[in-house]
Amino acid sequence: MTGSQTHPNTLDVMQLNIALPNGHRLLRDVSLSLRPGEVRVLVGESGAGKSMIGKAVLGILPQNLKVTEGEILLEGQHLNAMTPWTRRKTVAQSAALIPQDPLTALNPARRIGPQITDPLVRIHGWSRTKARETALALLDRVHIRDPKRVMESYPHELSGGMRQRVLIAAAFAPSPRLIVADEPTTALDVTVQKQILRLIRELQQETATAVLFVTHDMGVVAKVSQQVTVLFAGKVMEDAPTERIFTDPRHPYTRALIAATPSYADLDRPFSPVPQALIAELQDDIVRDDARHQGGAR
Amino acid sequence: MTLQTLTQTPEAPEAGAARSLFTVRDLRLSFPDLARKPLLGPAPRTEVLKGLSFDIPAGQITGIVGESGSGKSTAGRVLVRLLGPDSGSVLYDGQDIGHLDEAALRPLRRDLQMIFQDPMSSLNPRHKVWRIIAQPLKRYGLGGTKADAIAALGKVGLPPAFAERYPHELSGGQRQRVGIARAIALKPRFILADEIVSGLDVSSQAQVLLLLKQLAREMGLTIAFISHDLSVIRHLCDRVIVLNRGEIVEQGPVAQVFRAPVSEVTRTLLAAIPLPELDAGWLD
Repeated sequence: MTGSQTHPNTLDVMQLNIALPNGHRLLRDVSLSLRPGEVRVLVGESGAGKSMIGKAVLGILPQNLKVTEGEILLEGQHLNAMTPWTRRKTVAQSAALIPQDPLTALNPARRIGPQITDPLVRIHGWSRTKARETALALLDRVHIRDPKRVMESYPHELSGGMRQRVLIAAAFAPSPRLIVADEPTTALDVTVQKQILRLIRELQQETATAVLFVTHDMGVVAKVSQQVTVLFAGKVMEDAPTERIFTDPRHPYTRALIAATPSYADLDRPFSPVPQALIAELQDDIVRDDARHQGGAR
Repeated sequence: MTLQTLTQTPEAPEAGAARSLFTVRDLRLSFPDLARKPLLGPAPRTEVLKGLSFDIPAGQITGIVGESGSGKSTAGRVLVRLLGPDSGSVLYDGQDIGHLDEAALRPLRRDLQMIFQDPMSSLNPRHKVWRIIAQPLKRYGLGGTKADAIAALGKVGLPPAFAERYPHELSGGQRQRVGIARAIALKPRFILADEIVSGLDVSSQAQVLLLLKQLAREMGLTIAFISHDLSVIRHLCDRVIVLNRGEIVEQGPVAQVFRAPVSEVTRTLLAAIPLPELDAGWLD
């Protein structure tokens, strides 16, 4: 996995470090890659930095966080080397976000239609007519029964599942090469979750879009992804194909995450939180890492 | 705290074996639908609970499951009498509490406690943890000193130092433990736990579930546990009630309902849970 010139990968993240202004590292040498049409899950507990990776790729990190080291390549283009304006344009052209909370992601005071079509017109330079037709077709594609009516609706008139469908349609509309899905089903009911996961997979497979999928649910990991990055405190614990994560998890933290996920079907499997002793051990490792990192930087 | 306690759920005794703390018959409840209210005159009413009959056995954990809008939270809130029914009977320990007024309910309030879904909005952000736990104790004349609060914190596995913290200084799992500590400090007979782990990530969720199970056993608590996640219900509960659009579609001991679900709704809910195992055809 090197940054070679013939880029087969949609996304390469190489040795990415993100830190607070005081130098405290939040992301520690994270590397990962994503091929076209591949789904990679970032999994970990809250605070593991999984959403931060997606935000760093899209360039929407909170202002106080800085990428201190590392490279992000989107379809082979070095994002860090670009001017902010070029970078925004490049990212907007080829990447999109499906956010966690569909209510805060939609402007409550505007109708759904323009919220989907505006970016298509402004960023992608489409005609109003083409944007509207695409939006209607995609709303239909995400199983919204009356797309015309929904285009005229306000966000509060739709259910949570409907809103998430709208955002999925909006994300896929400009045919992006990469989609960052940041816990897109955490706010939803289990039955709606399954419909949404199915929808993301269908669209993603039809269009061979690469998806960076953030979740804390090992059940979701097992069902949606081909590749998994397990994170703890901003550090990669394990990076492996999904199949191996569940048949032969190598890192104790991966095993602990699986054991912390309840399963109604397998009551013989131990069900327990991540052991405190393991967390302490991993944190010690990280403190040592950081000390070494600081020493090396000076 | 052993892992085995939660893993090897003992088979629930058959209905009738345990005494019922709650006996609910033909519970009906409707809300006015203000969106369809005419300019003059009353709003039409939407029926939320359409004649529920169920028992909550004493000393057991009963799971209430269903999709959003199935009425599970509404049913729970009737049990702790945050809502009153339109009709039907809600027998608590043999007494119909469905139509009691606030004054008559007051002696029962202490015994009917609740743990909420969102601990951030159910813990006063301006109070330290110890005051949050101690205030209800004081209210019921059961003490209410910092030491009492620290003792309750100990029961939920939080060290005494947490007494001096504010809710925003805690993680989600720790906040939920404070909510549990506040409820159990009153030594209630019944606790309604409404989606208390759905906002937590996996490891905190497992911790809170283990804790609740252990406390229920130690204190002989009766718990109604509302959730949309049948995996959680299977691990924690003795019995389960499945709701759909305000009606009970299935109820019974968990082992039986999970082994041979009779309702299509239950089967759909089971099929919707992504189990942490490889299953290539799950999304097809």
